[in-house]
Amino acid sequence: MKWITARRRHPLAGYVVVLLALAVFGVGYALVAPSADRAEAQVMAAAQTGAEPAGGETVDIAQGRDIWERSCASCHGLNGAGSDNAPDITGAGGAAVDFQVSTGRMPSSNPDAQMPRKEPAWDREEIDNLIAYYEQEIGQGAGPAVPEEPPGDEPVRSDYEDEDAYEEAKASYDEAYDAYINGASDTQAGMQLYLANCAHCHSWSGAGGGLTGGHWAPQITDATPRQLYEAMLTGPGQMPVFTEGTVTPDDKQELISYVKTLQAEPNAGGIFDLNRVGQVAEGFIAWTVGLTLIIACAIWITAKQRAHD
Amino acid sequence: MSTTTQAPKALRGVGNWIDDRFHLAKTGEKNLRKVFPNHWSFMLGEIALYSFIILLVTGVFLTLWFNPSMAHTTYEGSYQRLNGVEMSEAYASTLRIDFDVRGGFLVRQIHHWAALIFVASLVVHMLRVFFTGAFRKPREINWLIGVGIFTLAMLEGLFGYSLPDDLPSGMGVRILQGVMLSLPVIGTYVSMFLFGGEFPGEDIIPRLYMLHILLIPGILLALIVAHFMILWHQKHTQYPGTGRSEKKVVGTPMFPGFAIKAGGFFFFVFAVIVALSAFVQINPIHLFGPFTPTAITSGLQPDWYMGFMEGSLRIFPNWLDFQIFGYAVPIGVLVPGLVIPGLIFGGLAAWPFLEQWITGDKRAHNVADRPRNAPVRTAVGVAGVVFYGILWLAGANDILSHTFSISLYWTTYFFRVAAIAGPIIGFIVAKRICLGLQRRDRETLEHGYESGTIQQLPSGEFIEVHKESSQETVHVLESKAAVDRIDDEAIASVEESESDGVEAPAARGLKGKLRAKLAHWYTKDNVSFEGVEAHTGHHLHHGAGHEEHEEMAGSH
Ligand code: HEC
Ligand code: HEC
Ligand code: HEM
Repeated sequence: MKWITARRRHPLAGYVVVLLALAVFGVGYALVAPSADRAEAQVMAAAQTGAEPAGGETVDIAQGRDIWERSCASCHGLNGAGSDNAPDITGAGGAAVDFQVSTGRMPSSNPDAQMPRKEPAWDREEIDNLIAYYEQEIGQGAGPAVPEEPPGDEPVRSDYEDEDAYEEAKASYDEAYDAYINGASDTQAGMQLYLANCAHCHSWSGAGGGLTGGHWAPQITDATPRQLYEAMLTGPGQMPVFTEGTVTPDDKQELISYVKTLQAEPNAGGIFDLNRVGQVAEGFIAWTVGLTLIIACAIWITAKQRAHD
Repeated sequence: MSTTTQAPKALRGVGNWIDDRFHLAKTGEKNLRKVFPNHWSFMLGEIALYSFIILLVTGVFLTLWFNPSMAHTTYEGSYQRLNGVEMSEAYASTLRIDFDVRGGFLVRQIHHWAALIFVASLVVHMLRVFFTGAFRKPREINWLIGVGIFTLAMLEGLFGYSLPDDLPSGMGVRILQGVMLSLPVIGTYVSMFLFGGEFPGEDIIPRLYMLHILLIPGILLALIVAHFMILWHQKHTQYPGTGRSEKKVVGTPMFPGFAIKAGGFFFFVFAVIVALSAFVQINPIHLFGPFTPTAITSGLQPDWYMGFMEGSLRIFPNWLDFQIFGYAVPIGVLVPGLVIPGLIFGGLAAWPFLEQWITGDKRAHNVADRPRNAPVRTAVGVAGVVFYGILWLAGANDILSHTFSISLYWTTYFFRVAAIAGPIIGFIVAKRICLGLQRRDRETLEHGYESGTIQQLPSGEFIEVHKESSQETVHVLESKAAVDRIDDEAIASVEESESDGVEAPAARGLKGKLRAKLAHWYTKDNVSFEGVEAHTGHHLHHGAGHEEHEEMAGSH
């Protein structure tokens, strides 16, 4: 206490107090604020209690119908023709359903706002059942179907009964993934396609960017090759459609390969990559870390005045 | 703290030996004894010097491998991902520096981090000089040289950034070209001249290279040398304090005290820059990929020192563009791209002369102002900083919008308003704070400082005991001129014209009137210290004199 009393009139005391207070509030907020991950985890847990173990070969259209009627029809209508809240999706295609549901966008929690990516509400098998129901009853073949070639979600351990089955599925997934990514060999084509068509919204690194009217182009680094493909096929939200005519399947593969390879690229320049935000982050660090440290040193070396100075 | 020093015996021996042969003692002693004021803010300029030295050394290293050519080539090298990609020689050789030259990646990053720190240190150094009035006579020339260095440093950085011919390089050069094209009548000619034809052409990188490694560093070096020679001759300014006056400098002598500090400081600057370069990735050209004219991307900015220009281009509205005789006059590019930066730099250069003209203060000043004692100048400075800062933030509006989930349009509208309202608020707030501090200074001077001890008087009243300030504090506080209007002639003329209606010569004519008005505006709110003597206030000795207190505050 004495230590504090002696220093509380120090010229820097005020700053120290403010900094401490900020730190306390910052840490406190981080602890108290509901984290998005946790909230999603709860939804997941609720969704999964009814889930069946994976591995079933046959499609369960009845389950698909069940999901549709309980979770989608309220907005899109029983026959998918839309409502005041939601668009007609009869022509959207299985690719759109797969994209929207597997990225967690649908079921939407707020029809007026752009949905962020989150954990999907159902597991792979249930989503497949939903798509099967959609294709049979609602879309009836209209719109693009789910592209089978680009690899989709990575296998999840909880969907498999034992470790071996999971390992096996994972190994064959990795093989398919590598085959798809390495199947594209023309980096130049992929790069030019990406930089000419996508980068002005999703930025050069895929980190995303702001758009007008409260919308944003999300980060695309979590998307699987199949989701990337589906995004191009269906043009969700503000994003334009890139049909198989404008960007051919081979070009799409080159583009996806470019995105995924760039993302996997190690940061050769140092362990801190500043999230690849680039110059704004660099300038921020130059001022707050670089120059600040140097000025602190200047204050230190000029502060001590020895008698024989 | 003394103004002279006695060198150690051993050193004196060596000195005598040399002196017997070269007779350096006279000049040498004078220079070695040169005194440097001890304050951290006098080291800011040194950061700039040291980072410039680092830039020179690392830059020379880079020239050994960099190939400034736009000739096409197909990359075959150690960086697997880009194998088979077409690019320019410039980009390929930068990849070579990164992945094939030993230490090349580190040196490139040192060069870039040093560039960011260099310009940042110029800014803080300049702000120190501005806010302490160190640009006043006799130091105006050095201020102008400083503005020149700052401008050239920005250009130097921009051109360096354009050399590797990667994605951000190309986008930067394209903006540069856009700004050039906005020049009425001569725009296209200037662009064709610089690019040797259409954008991007084959010439731009070799030309920027010549500017970047030869011409601008040469001019910068010459300016920096001149800057230091003038500084050496005029000596630093110093903050007010005991024993310090317009005639006498107090501080550490050049040798050994200051030289050791400065040497150590160099290594610290170097260490910070190298540590950043070793651990924090900067300008990862290998990730960006080469520039192709079809590429457009968000999330790329220029380096921070060009950020304010980027911002001014981003928020300036395009309603004002017009056409004349079929020629477009793109005000929306011309004004933010050239006029606003021109105003910022022109304003910086003109300020010492403007202030001199307004105040009529033509005396030489070696004691620095405390910022609060020149409230209007400080407030103008703060307004400038706020304006620059808003433009700078606006240059990152896409990143801000995305990071903080704010609508992009909204950031634009916000920055448009803030660019106008911010400086005004900044001005008012800064000036109020200065005047408040002046008032507090006067009180401290008269009454001593509040000791924090509460005493009960026999009458039952509680008072806080004031204690006498130290001698040093008193000297600092007394440094404020009692009355701030220095230009007696101008004051007299205003007063005369007010009293008898006859205009004094200095206030005649439009210019004279404007000047008298400005002089009045510049000093009118200053708290007068006239007649204030240290520790003569009453409540030093007895109870709190509240009435008297209020009367004083209201008496001006
Ligand atoms: C709360 C209302 C709501 C619910 C529930 C909902 N949606 Fe949607 N859905 C929307 C809105 C609103 C959009 C338009 C989103 C946009 O444009 O960004 C949309 C868009 C879609 C699209 C994209 C249409 C296109 O043209 O690309 C598909 C596919 C879709 N929903 C499927 C579903 C499925 C399947 C479910 C059930 C799992 C579901 N939705 C549940 C509101 C809802
Ligand atoms: C006009 C801007 C725009 C362009 C151009 C664009 N996108 Fe998008 N993209 C968006 C928006 C907006 C969304 C979010 C849609 C939503 O959530 O409703 C999105 C979503 C995505 C997603 C889903 C990301 C995730 O993980 O949730 C992927 C993948 C994607 N885009 C890939 C691409 C690719 C590949 C291209 C280039 C061929 C491209 N985009 C071009 C705006 C754009
Ligand atoms: C005020 C001084 C200087 C500044 C602000 C500056 C700034 C820069 C910047 C920002 C880059 C881009 C670096 C990158 O790719 O990350 C660069 C590149 C370069 N600079 Fe400088 N520089 C300065 C002085 C010099 C000097 C004196 C030389 C040579 C004598 C030099 C030689 C080079 C070369 C060859 C490159 C291209 C290589 C590369 O990009 O890696 N620079 N400079």
